[in-house]
Amino acid sequence: MIIEAAQFLTILATGLFFLCFVFSIFFNVNDVNIIKLISRIYSHSFFLFLSSFLIYVWLAINDNFSVLYIAQHSNTNLPVFYKISSIWSAHEGSMFLWIIFLSLWGAIYNFSVHNNEPLKARTVGVISITTVGFLLFLLLTSNPFETILPLPPENGADINPVLQDPLLAIHPPTLYLGYVGFVIAFGQAIAFLIEGNSSINWEKQVRFWSIIAWSFLTLGITLGSWWAYYELGWGGYWFWDPVENVALMPWLAATAFIHSLSASSKSSILRIWTILLSILVFSLSLFGAFIVRSGIIDSVHSFANDPERGLYLLAFIGILVMTSLILFSYRFTILISNKRIVSLSKESFISINNIFFGTLIFSTMLGVMYPLIYEFIYDQKISVGAPFYNAIFVPITLLACLFLLFSIESKWQSKLKFAFLNNPLIISFVFSLFITFLSFKFYSVSRAWTLASLFIGSLIISRYIIVIYAYIFHRKFVNIYSVLAHLGLGLLIISIALNNDFSSERALNIKINETETYKNHEITFNNLQLTEGPNYESVKADFIIENKNGNKFSLNPEKRKYFVRGQITTETAIHASLLKDIYLTIGDQLDDGSWIVNVQFNYFIRWIWFSATLMIISGLFLARSLNRVHS
Amino acid sequence: MTVFLRVFILSVSLMFFYFFYLYIEDDKYYPGASFQTSNMPLFELEDLYSDDVITNSDLEGAHLVNVWASWCITCRIEHGFLVKLSSQGIPIMGLNYKDERIDAINWITKFGNPYKFIIHDLKGELALDMGVTGAPETFLINNGKIIAHYRGEVNEMIWSDVFSPIIKKENLFNDN
Repeated sequence: MIIEAAQFLTILATGLFFLCFVFSIFFNVNDVNIIKLISRIYSHSFFLFLSSFLIYVWLAINDNFSVLYIAQHSNTNLPVFYKISSIWSAHEGSMFLWIIFLSLWGAIYNFSVHNNEPLKARTVGVISITTVGFLLFLLLTSNPFETILPLPPENGADINPVLQDPLLAIHPPTLYLGYVGFVIAFGQAIAFLIEGNSSINWEKQVRFWSIIAWSFLTLGITLGSWWAYYELGWGGYWFWDPVENVALMPWLAATAFIHSLSASSKSSILRIWTILLSILVFSLSLFGAFIVRSGIIDSVHSFANDPERGLYLLAFIGILVMTSLILFSYRFTILISNKRIVSLSKESFISINNIFFGTLIFSTMLGVMYPLIYEFIYDQKISVGAPFYNAIFVPITLLACLFLLFSIESKWQSKLKFAFLNNPLIISFVFSLFITFLSFKFYSVSRAWTLASLFIGSLIISRYIIVIYAYIFHRKFVNIYSVLAHLGLGLLIISIALNNDFSSERALNIKINETETYKNHEITFNNLQLTEGPNYESVKADFIIENKNGNKFSLNPEKRKYFVRGQITTETAIHASLLKDIYLTIGDQLDDGSWIVNVQFNYFIRWIWFSATLMIISGLFLARSLNRVHS
Repeated sequence: MTVFLRVFILSVSLMFFYFFYLYIEDDKYYPGASFQTSNMPLFELEDLYSDDVITNSDLEGAHLVNVWASWCITCRIEHGFLVKLSSQGIPIMGLNYKDERIDAINWITKFGNPYKFIIHDLKGELALDMGVTGAPETFLINNGKIIAHYRGEVNEMIWSDVFSPIIKKENLFNDN
């Protein structure tokens, strides 16, 4: 009964969201009462929908296995935390969460924007119709409320053990918050196009929302990468997996978008870019959902599925994107600014930045699409791997960073006056050259790309440190959060390059009580234990590692076998220090009784997480500072 | 210039969606389906209802092998369709996978038996050799050769899109 009630609430909410859309398109939105009405209907339908979701959470906590989805993905033995996170461990439930977040962003927007302008009503309308599209998808093709009556199973199935990890329980929600957060930018852009009044400054209002969404997206991707690092046991943090790529594309587009926004919120220059990018960011987010949920691509991330879903999503996304683009080209003339971009102005650097980001997005899309096109034509599966992406991303990113350096001093709408001798860039140039030379000479860094990345990373960092110096001692105005985010970029480039250059691994065949030496570290296989966890049994090894200074520590990699699914997982053991991680995984036992143990030294990996965190935190603070200016 | 830009953006995105439409409509799109031919592995396992040993010689001609278990919820959803298939005269052999005998027998009693006979594979030995990763999975076998394999629930749609074309092509089940 309660299940039907929850489903009914969702259906009701779908109807009301649709009503919102109808009102915002077919009624006179210059009328304040209509605007208030739309806003109120939206709040009510969001409330109904949220209640439905909360009931669902309650059903999951209480092991209501007459709900098919809960029976298939949860288990009585799971801790409450995982009972809740099991909701988003597969297709139907995660779609449910996705739509909740989508409408939540709309609800917060609706609640916190107090003006009664037509733009708001139209935006709420666009958000509503997007929500309706996904709700219909949920109800028609992937209903989470489906029941198995009259004989519910007693214990339920289980969630995939790889997913029984606190980090993974929060990785999808943060990522989804990022993806769907761009619905506000998209909604405002479409509302602006519908209104067709070029004097409305929609960009200014949208910055705050977009930067928050960008921070969530960055956080979601970082969490995923961190999880992959310690859980999958391969030691890497980025695999150019197709689904990572479909998360990377909206991130790249979003990054270009928030840069463009800062230009076009000051003058209407770059408006075409901004509108197009806002449509692109959201479309790429939806495209990601399509790729993951249609089962087109085999990946760690894909859900079990049927083609009907893919077709529905394709049709829905196609209609949404094509309508937006037709609207865009219909209103094209009002977007053209009568001001020209001054060469070497900040705007000019931002448009160059857009071109670089566009190239990266295009290349990533090519890498994702090429195997599909190839398979479609030749009926053979091929894959595009890291070498392709590295060959494209490394030079383009480094080149883009060079332009970033010059853009630091540039000003809005005026030409950069570049003084060659009396320029802070000279100091950072000398400094970076020195750093690069030192690492070449004393730390045996010799690969050209590593040196180039090191050089450019140091240039960015030192140049921005000079900016911070000027900010503190000469009261020179800068946007300090943007400075910190770019410092994060410099650090990220250096850490990725050094990680790539220094990291090494070796597989050892080692018996109990034997000692092997790898890179000045003595690795002793001390012990092996059979233990039993709450829903798995495991083999736990004990290793003592001693470095050349005589410091000892122990590492306990594990292999688990989960009861319900019989799945085997490896649990890595990591010893983290400032510069490197020592990373152990155990493999199979050989016939002579020795075990295969994989030892990895992963350098600067913590620095990668730190750089990403710096960007995320700067993003959140930047959004906060923007919000303060508004209110 | 602006006209060109507009037409370019619109047509490129239209082509993009059209490609995915073609891709989805293409039938090789089912990720659970595989049509690699391989020999049915050799086995000797007990029948679910008796101690009789079933071997490869008991599998003749064209038939399906359906991997199922009483703990598998998707199998229960799939079951109705299998009953229907068997009533249409398609021979289905059951491969009971990692399941206690008594649970499996109770399950069949409760939901009906579409199988000619059921192989009891308690340790999942045969299933391992056949490349089973979970339940349900369904194999199409012709004279000791596996010619189609589907991971996941077989239903009306999967039957007509994945199995029917190869059945027609190989001209199977005609005498029924």
